[in-house]
Amino acid sequence: MGDAQSRVRVGHTSPLAEVGDILDVGVLTLDGALVVTGWNHWLELATGKRAADVVGRPLLATEPHLRPRARNALEQAVNGTTVIMSQPLHGYLLDIPAPAGTGTILRMQQSVRVLPIYGDDGTPQGAVALIQDVTERVAREDELREAMVAAQTSNQAKSNFLAAMSHELRTPIGAVSAYVDLLSDGIVGSVTDQQRAHLLRIKMVAAHLLAIVEEILTFARIDAGREQVRISDADAGQLARDAILAVEPLVKKKGLDLRYDLPSAPVPMKTDPVKVRQILINLLGNAVKFTSHGSIAVHVTASPSGSSVAFAIADTGHGIAAADLERIFEPFVQVSASHSRSHEGTGLGLAVSREFARLLGGDVTVTSEVGLGSVFTATFQR
Amino acid sequence: MNLDELDSDALSELFNIGLHRAAASLSEITNQRIVVDMPRLVLCPVGEIESRLAELIGGEIATVHQVFGGAVAGDAVLLIEQDKAAELAKLMTGGEAGHGGRMDESAREVLVEIGNIVLGACLSGFGDVLQTPVSFSVPRIHIESLKSILGSLLTESAEPQFAVIVATQFRLSALAVDGYMIIAVGAKSLDRISRALSGRIS
Repeated sequence: MGDAQSRVRVGHTSPLAEVGDILDVGVLTLDGALVVTGWNHWLELATGKRAADVVGRPLLATEPHLRPRARNALEQAVNGTTVIMSQPLHGYLLDIPAPAGTGTILRMQQSVRVLPIYGDDGTPQGAVALIQDVTERVAREDELREAMVAAQTSNQAKSNFLAAMSHELRTPIGAVSAYVDLLSDGIVGSVTDQQRAHLLRIKMVAAHLLAIVEEILTFARIDAGREQVRISDADAGQLARDAILAVEPLVKKKGLDLRYDLPSAPVPMKTDPVKVRQILINLLGNAVKFTSHGSIAVHVTASPSGSSVAFAIADTGHGIAAADLERIFEPFVQVSASHSRSHEGTGLGLAVSREFARLLGGDVTVTSEVGLGSVFTATFQR
Repeated sequence: MNLDELDSDALSELFNIGLHRAAASLSEITNQRIVVDMPRLVLCPVGEIESRLAELIGGEIATVHQVFGGAVAGDAVLLIEQDKAAELAKLMTGGEAGHGGRMDESAREVLVEIGNIVLGACLSGFGDVLQTPVSFSVPRIHIESLKSILGSLLTESAEPQFAVIVATQFRLSALAVDGYMIIAVGAKSLDRISRALSGRIS
């Protein structure tokens, strides 16, 4: 009882100390000579030292292991400077064992603010240190950091595996195509028309398989941060014409109209023309794939300021629901399970196109209305 | 007061000394060599801060804000683009804070300490020339847009408010981070600073 009264008298008289207890913060007050004038209940519990045994004594006598940096912070504060001791840079102010259940952390990790206490004449008379226990937060951040490193390592391993496997797959597909050519040309013996038709089918399937493998290989390179950009002079109109030429047979095969509005004069741009062409072929190929009747339209326009150029590809396909507009750019996503069955592909085309555009300082965006069609726009800096 | 009357060379020198003090403190704490560039100063009415800063800094910004008082009173804000602030905290702590480019709790705490040191070192220069100490509030961190930050500075005031915008770069390892300070004060405080700087020169 006597102890409790004494503790109340010497340690818990300050409203600041009481507020510290309510807010779960340690409150240590010192006079100008670093003699302890306040030690709240939070500090009693954390350190096992009672206020009655600490208050009135020099801090260095009660905390003999106080580090020079901590002492320096307290001295600065009693001289009128606000000091922050962040946990990542300092660890702690007072040497207190870590609370139970925080793994390998040995000492309580602390976030500390040390503020001067001013007298009535406006001069600093002492300091107050507000100590917050952040041990659990540090343990959580350590775990999160380890998990992120593990995830990055695993992702890197996956990308390396994909790149290696894609390469291993590409070689035999090339061999299949080459042997089909040998057979078709009759080099190893005569071939009937029916056999030639079967060989053609094998060649088409091999070409399709190769396209899929190439797409996976490209995606793995982007994901591993190994995709390289080769900038050169190009003409936006010519890039669009090249892409149109590549997909024209598919458009005709599906009986769709192909309309285009290309600039009559050259629109020079500094970019990676191979990647821009691939993006446009991907977007046009998608438009054809998801349009069963109607038309595909291509517009190329330079921005009024001349700083960028936009390639817009509009289709009259079945459109995309608003909720799926961003999801379609995620790898391996085709928005409808029924569509993915009827429209073959890896689901990587749009992801690759957008990543390519972003590598070139541009982007691929989409607007769409279900039942009316979609407009994909690839924009690039010139 | 007319801003032309303020000796901007003397004021630049004051901030230069403060920033070098701050760099020395940060180097000691982190055991790394941290250098700050010679600051560039702009003086303007507070209403012009946004147009002056908008071309230099954008997006989400990490700020440390301190109110100061004494012979001169006002607001001091350190501004760093959020991703750069996370990178700065990461390098200063050897990867412990700001991991993955995120402004996590640890990175926020480190930035508060950086802001306190940088703003404190620069503003205590005012105290030195005025030969009276300047006191500071506890620093607070915010992550927001430039417009929101300025909204909290542009308070209704009877006297005209002015701002000193200080631009510098913090360099450590291979990283160079642009940092900006806004010191917003009333006309009376600015007049006191101006007189004190003139007195020191004469």
